[in-house]
Amino acid sequence: MTKKRQPAGLRRANDPPVLILTSLAAGAKHGHALARDIKEFAGVNLGPGALYGAITRLEERGLIEPLDSDDRRRPYRITRAGSAALAEVVHDMRRLADVGAARLGLTWGSTA
Amino acid sequence: MRGYPPAWRARYGDELLAMVEEDLGGRRPTRRFRLSLVSAGLRERAHEAGMIGAGPSAAGPVRAGSLVILCAWAAFVLAGASFSKVAEHFARAVPVASRTLPQDAFTAVAALGVSAAVLVALGALIALPSFVRFVRAGGWPSVRGHVHRAIGLSVLMAAGLVPLSVWAHHLDTVQRNGGDAAYAAVIGAWSLVVAATLAQWTAAGVAAARRITFSPALLRLESLMAVIVAGAMLAITAATALWWAAMAHDAPWFLTGTASVGSHHPSPFDVQLVATLALMTVAVLTAAYGVYRIVRFRARLGVT
Repeated sequence: MTKKRQPAGLRRANDPPVLILTSLAAGAKHGHALARDIKEFAGVNLGPGALYGAITRLEERGLIEPLDSDDRRRPYRITRAGSAALAEVVHDMRRLADVGAARLGLTWGSTA
Repeated sequence: MRGYPPAWRARYGDELLAMVEEDLGGRRPTRRFRLSLVSAGLRERAHEAGMIGAGPSAAGPVRAGSLVILCAWAAFVLAGASFSKVAEHFARAVPVASRTLPQDAFTAVAALGVSAAVLVALGALIALPSFVRFVRAGGWPSVRGHVHRAIGLSVLMAAGLVPLSVWAHHLDTVQRNGGDAAYAAVIGAWSLVVAATLAQWTAAGVAAARRITFSPALLRLESLMAVIVAGAMLAITAATALWWAAMAHDAPWFLTGTASVGSHHPSPFDVQLVATLALMTVAVLTAAYGVYRIVRFRARLGVT
């Protein structure tokens, strides 16, 4: 089975870039707020090094863009290309989740 | 923070620092926290150099792959010099009937080595017009230090060559091959200068090549030549191993430096030869990573 790679370079659901795009889909945030939001919805602790490494890659690919700011904490927002890339990842995840749930006999909201 | 490249620090440094201060909340950073920042900084340097990741264009990874092979080649040249010293006058030690295989292996090493060296020189020559344009555009200060150090070491190397040659001329074979402690020490020091000179010229070449904008066509050509050099390195390593196996079978006493033919079985594990092959292997593996980067991104060169 070949590993599917998104054109935008996004891979697995818990990749920092995917987590950042998911967080920004709810609105622009700066670094610390991003890390806090990701910890809340995904339970993943992204340190400053990992977070800003992912921010650098996402900005390079045009999936996020910085907003002007008066202080050092610069907020970022998701771009149209970022939303499209995230939507594709989410569709893939949903497809996989549906197949898994069907094979396990799960209905959404129940646990095995 | 110093682990991060200067350009990255200029763009993101303040934001990263603000986040670090918020995260720490006045506490001292733990060792793990520091290490995570240092490793993230080194990852950014590797990204900037095109050594990892895809980057905004294919030129970065292809150029990085070619330069990795160039660095591997520099180490390989040192290994080659060591091998030529180990294999000096080997043909006299091998019985005539068994001479074909080690002789052919040695010839292959020599021929491939010369061919690869010519390719490397050609690659530098082809890049020369781009380097001249780079210097004319004001790029000289960014590589001046590297070039000056390389020239200084070259002068030191050349200055030692004549007196050492004169000294060697007055020594016999045994004295030249470790019998004279003073000569051995001076030759050892001079060899280090040679290695440092090669390393510094390689560093100067890498520093320049990283800053020059090459056309996609030129990058394709240079990367193709780099892949061929990497292939030659692999073949040379295989031929060296074959030479060693042939000598171990037909004239093991040559490898240990003992008198020929006795009732005991001399060990074929000469320390210098082991170190030489180990260095060749490391260089080939390093070059293989360069080939991987080139092959993965070369097809996308010039594609926007």
